[in-house]
Amino acid sequence: MSDVALQSGLHRERMARLRALFVYIAKRVLGSAGVLLVGTLVVFFTMKAAPGDPALSALGEQASPDAIAAFRAAHGLDAPVHVQYLAWLTQMLQGNFGQSLALASGVPVATLLLTKLPATVFIGLYALTIAIVISLVLGTIAALQRGRAADTVATSIAVFGISMPDFWLSYVLIFGLALNLGLFPTFGYVSPADDFLRALHFGFLPAFAIAAPMAAVFARTLRAVLIDVMNKPYVTTAKSFGLRGQFIFVHFVLRNALVPYLTVIGLQIRYILGGVVVVERIFGIPGIGSLMVDGAFARDFPVLQACTVTFLFIVLVVNMITDLICAALDPRRSS
Amino acid sequence: MHTSISIPRRTVFKGIGAIAAAGVLGGNARVAFAAAPHLRAAITGYSVINTLDPGKATLIPEFYVIWSLYNGLLTFDDKMNIVPDLAESYKTLEDGSIEFKLRKGVKFHDGSEMTSDDVKFSIERILNESFASPNRAKVAAVDRVEAVDPLTVRIYTKRPFAPLLTFLTNSRTGTQIVPRKAVEAMGAEAFARKPIGTGPYKLESWSAGTGLKLAAHKDYFGGAPTIETVEVPLIAEESSGVTALLGNQIDLTSTVPAADVPQLSSNPNATILKQPGLNMRFLSLNLRKAPFDDPHFRRAVSMAFQREAMVNAVIFGEGATSHGIFPPLLGDYYSNIRPPQTLFNPEAAKAEMAKSRYKPGEQTVAVVTWGGSWWKRFAEIFVAQVNQTLGTKFTVEVTDANAAYARQQSGDFVCSVWGWLGLVDPDEYINDIFHSKGWRNFGGYSNPEADTLIEAAAREMDQAKRAELYHKAEKVVMEDLPFIPCFTSNIHNLLRKGVSGFVQKPYSNFGDQFINIKTT
Repeated sequence: MSDVALQSGLHRERMARLRALFVYIAKRVLGSAGVLLVGTLVVFFTMKAAPGDPALSALGEQASPDAIAAFRAAHGLDAPVHVQYLAWLTQMLQGNFGQSLALASGVPVATLLLTKLPATVFIGLYALTIAIVISLVLGTIAALQRGRAADTVATSIAVFGISMPDFWLSYVLIFGLALNLGLFPTFGYVSPADDFLRALHFGFLPAFAIAAPMAAVFARTLRAVLIDVMNKPYVTTAKSFGLRGQFIFVHFVLRNALVPYLTVIGLQIRYILGGVVVVERIFGIPGIGSLMVDGAFARDFPVLQACTVTFLFIVLVVNMITDLICAALDPRRSS
Repeated sequence: MHTSISIPRRTVFKGIGAIAAAGVLGGNARVAFAAAPHLRAAITGYSVINTLDPGKATLIPEFYVIWSLYNGLLTFDDKMNIVPDLAESYKTLEDGSIEFKLRKGVKFHDGSEMTSDDVKFSIERILNESFASPNRAKVAAVDRVEAVDPLTVRIYTKRPFAPLLTFLTNSRTGTQIVPRKAVEAMGAEAFARKPIGTGPYKLESWSAGTGLKLAAHKDYFGGAPTIETVEVPLIAEESSGVTALLGNQIDLTSTVPAADVPQLSSNPNATILKQPGLNMRFLSLNLRKAPFDDPHFRRAVSMAFQREAMVNAVIFGEGATSHGIFPPLLGDYYSNIRPPQTLFNPEAAKAEMAKSRYKPGEQTVAVVTWGGSWWKRFAEIFVAQVNQTLGTKFTVEVTDANAAYARQQSGDFVCSVWGWLGLVDPDEYINDIFHSKGWRNFGGYSNPEADTLIEAAAREMDQAKRAELYHKAEKVVMEDLPFIPCFTSNIHNLLRKGVSGFVQKPYSNFGDQFINIKTT
């Protein structure tokens, strides 16, 4: 075969692989959009079906029936549910989340979301970082020391981490590290934009409370995958070439273990969001989790819907990005 | 086959050390806080403030803040006597109107001077049906308001109305004085978010669901407040409020979970204030539905549980049992009755049940309650005791507060745990709930004899005679037992060590004290 033929063959193959990747991305985007649409339906109709009334939250128990009726009419709450849904969806597609009914009457929901989102994103990323760091350490030690005391300790820590509910861990951390040792504040939030170090300090306990159960899952996955990879023939071959253990571990083992490890991390993002709801409330962090709980209690439908759709959107986007990274790392996935 | 790879242990531990250092950030540095130049007064147990317009406010945390931003014509002193506030003095004239002489030189936060025209505007605005104030009932008896001169205002009522003075105080009444010019210029909605009052503090900023910042009103008629700024974080979880205070992040909380009271009482780093509160906790019954349409059934159930045990289990002893309509703090209006149908008596309960149209196990009654707080425990204890005594089939139905209220208001309930907080006039405790046209009479109780007595009491200006009428009305109502009284709770505030000057009042006051507080 001539050089030119070989070149064009390679080119064709590369193009085919790129095409497959694009088709894969397009399918994933369409699929996610579909899930998002179904999600909006579920969110909207379950909220409408739940008992309670935003007019009561906004106007209070002393409101007259006339005032309540006027409120409902003014906010389109007396229209048929499917009409309300379509109106909401159309507005949302234009980037308009409506106005808060009961939490902060008249304030655009988008404004509320934009002021609350940074805190949630910061705590979420902080938690993710802590979980990754802890899991890399624990998982690696456990895999390398498999069957020895260090493995047992690391695995036990992981089991403990999985079994601890975030709200319980939050209180344990508050009493132990904040109140007794005085290492951390018990409450509140500092924006990283204002003071990064103080933000890390204030955010540590809530982030750790969310991170602990996740770190445990990541560590167990990493341990299993590392052990699996370490048993692959190419590792034995590399060893027989006399390469150093550290080199083999970083370049062959850890790298190949990344795909399943990343997949698990991607899947766990939803737990961060779940944890955020609880932890934001305990530590008084002004994020979307708190906003969502308040919105739910006040039956502030526009706020609650916007929060759940935002969470759904984040989960879908993160899952998609994880899949794309994995597809890029492992071409078999997209072909 | 198991392949092992070895990495020097030191490398691994070096990594772990670096991570640990990064996590703790600054090692064992204790959290250091500078001496507070301001007050950090947290509203605990609530996270929603929807409006700061007194004419529109209904939620307890809204009033907590309103009390520091505005004044009423009158206020309560430390002993709950009604005393002048924006009014310098007041008297009843021969034509039945009440004349108020206003303080001179009172400034609103925008610098304008308060006059009788602002008072007239503030009250007429609540009366105006199109404004749809939830507090309209408080001034419904007002016929007209006359601004005689800039510092004199007269209020005429359609009929003598004894609760009026109470409703003109700076309490949960919505009659706080607002500036006409500013409200008209801004419009009600904008005013609700940028309030202007005469109070010792003005609003500086407000972040929905997070908290508010207040700044001293230098021209306050009572003198510029010593504490220049007040931070008011909204802490949804009461227990988080306690830990934030113990962690020295706030100076004061608006409430304390009853379960924490004994432990906090012996904590040297905090002072807990407590006293019986102006509140009532009871079981709301729907008299339009079986089985509570039968008075024998109601009495049987009321005698089938032990209120003392309830107080201990539900609010950890932080309260007292109730046997009538009014809480003890209403002074002369409270009659200290203990009708037999409100005392635990299993034999009498069974005998009463035998007279009922319904058999105990025949009806399934869902007792509606909400949340995971003591309100849920309240229902659980009640259901367990009544079922045990009578063999009834009561169950607990947990929802959330909004849904429970919606059901209460629409009459979609048979039995529900319920209560009032911060009501200061007997009329609010009896007229609103037991008059056949009372706006909170969700259970459908109607007795013409009770109606007549309740109406007469509201017209009676002589306190002793008024109290007597309420005692008679209470006796009639308690015989019918359209509700089951259970207990009143103590109220609590928690202060950090070094904070003093908070004067607790039984209607769960808060923001009206910022000006008196001293911190070290």
